[in-house]
Amino acid sequence: MMAKTQYYVPVGPIHPALKEPIRVEAEVEGERIVRVDVKRGFAHRGIEYMGMKRNAIQTLYLSERICGICSISHPYAFVIGSEKALGIEAPPRAQYIRPIIAELERIHSHILWLGVVAHEMGFDSLLFWTWKGREKVLDLLELLTGNRINYSVFMIGGVRRDIKESQIKAIKDAIDFYRIFTEEMKNVFLSDPVYKARTRGVAQLSREMALKLNVCGPVARAAGLRMDVRQDNPYDAYADIEVRAIVPQDIVGEARGDAYDITLVRLYEIEQSLDIIEFCIENMPEGRIMAIPNYVVLLSKIKKTKGEAIGMHEAPRGEVVHYFKYDGTRDGPAVWKVVAPSYNNINSWAPLLLGAEVADIPIVVAYIDPCMCCNDRVAVVRDRDGRIMDYSLIHRKAVEKTMRLKRELGVRA
Amino acid sequence: MRGKPLTPEKVIEKLQEALGEAILSHGMKEYTVGIAKKRSYREIWMEIDRKAFRKAVEEIFRLDYPHLHFIMGEDSGGDMIKMIYGFALYHGLPWEQVSIVLKFNLPKSELVLPTITDLMPGAETNEREIREMLGIEFEGLKNKRHLFLPDDWPEGKYPWRRDEYGVEDMVKHTHKSVKEIRKGRGE
Repeated sequence: MMAKTQYYVPVGPIHPALKEPIRVEAEVEGERIVRVDVKRGFAHRGIEYMGMKRNAIQTLYLSERICGICSISHPYAFVIGSEKALGIEAPPRAQYIRPIIAELERIHSHILWLGVVAHEMGFDSLLFWTWKGREKVLDLLELLTGNRINYSVFMIGGVRRDIKESQIKAIKDAIDFYRIFTEEMKNVFLSDPVYKARTRGVAQLSREMALKLNVCGPVARAAGLRMDVRQDNPYDAYADIEVRAIVPQDIVGEARGDAYDITLVRLYEIEQSLDIIEFCIENMPEGRIMAIPNYVVLLSKIKKTKGEAIGMHEAPRGEVVHYFKYDGTRDGPAVWKVVAPSYNNINSWAPLLLGAEVADIPIVVAYIDPCMCCNDRVAVVRDRDGRIMDYSLIHRKAVEKTMRLKRELGVRA
Repeated sequence: MRGKPLTPEKVIEKLQEALGEAILSHGMKEYTVGIAKKRSYREIWMEIDRKAFRKAVEEIFRLDYPHLHFIMGEDSGGDMIKMIYGFALYHGLPWEQVSIVLKFNLPKSELVLPTITDLMPGAETNEREIREMLGIEFEGLKNKRHLFLPDDWPEGKYPWRRDEYGVEDMVKHTHKSVKEIRKGRGE
């Protein structure tokens, strides 16, 4: 039984910081968190199970629906893995188009996160300003692919849509816009004293812990680990670009692995993405965009193939890994395992929340940019005695703490 | 401190020294990437004896603290489950990363494996998933609660199994074609 001084604080499964449901259960003494439990599985749809029953092209577009925000990352890992297993190679032009789409997605995902974290702290005008800036990249993606999300543009052995001259002009315009916009965001986020006070030392993950908890992507990079699939195991045009992982020690001299460092990493990665897109449109080779344009031929090749491979892509949130096995009897994967970045990054919540304050829950939860790619639909929420604090109360506490810091630091609203 | 990264050949040599006969087969897969300049990287794929699994993992951790890509098990309907562990050595070093895929057979009569959470606490997520999806017990795994499946999930049902413990009878429409569904309805 809980002592009288301990209270039970559930966050989620419905939580405004999350695009998808998850549940954090904390027991608190006063403001301190003394025990944490993370429950996942509220949106698990059994996608891997379905994928092992369908053909590879169906599964490719099913993988796109694993996640709405990073809806190109899963297809990217899927096509890379499939091409490795099938022994085919995408034409050079397709290998340059793919990173453009993937990097545009990284830009919108990172700006989305910046807005969410601003909201968690109570800076709602900042949320609307960042998301207004994000609209331009979504419009550009719609122009290039026909959709704002779920672009359906990748195919095993190439891409389905070419990029035309007129579209290249739109991309160049967007790059100019985001160069200025990122500079502005850097000013707003990184030099604001309240933002700094609210994020410095919050959700701090040491290099050691980052390794042991098997985290990846910006979370690992903020802790100082130079991990980036685009650098470690390059693919497509990334092999020509020589991408280097963005880590805080290269920018400010040291990596502390807290929420401030993560903001830093994400902001600088937007600039890196702009550089990559620029390189791709300047050096784009001419030629075909599909290795095997006929889907029937492609499926029959898959049916005859016996082989396995791992496909990896650096999604905005970290490493996406797909393991495949084509067994030569089906035209789809016989075994398909998906590991999304949040699968590993959520590992950091429980250790980080221990000893933290209730007002820090929203930031710890939001800082990894969670994306529940692998969750369950059958939700069973337990009933339990003890005072229940709902999310609005916790959010109010987070806003109060920001206000208090503002007063203490003497910043005028 | 991290040692100097070894080439895939050296990594295989080290593993052979440690495991000896327990390596049933091994191979390297080479992939060429790049348009302007062709370069290649290699992955190690290794089939081992299940008894040597823990020793193999310990040897990998001795070489470098790895990143765990994934743990997967394949049930093709027979009396074995093929376990597949994917590790990455020397991550963070451009072009030096070596992915190692360890594979071994686990008889369905003895679905028990030693945990690796003592070496890497983050692997708890992976082991809990494999435990609920395939029914494999991990010796030494502390948290055995369901990960993705709900707490009231029926016992003895494992979604990725392709035998009598599978979930075929619980699934209705997810993977059937419209034609099959209509036929089932008698339309």
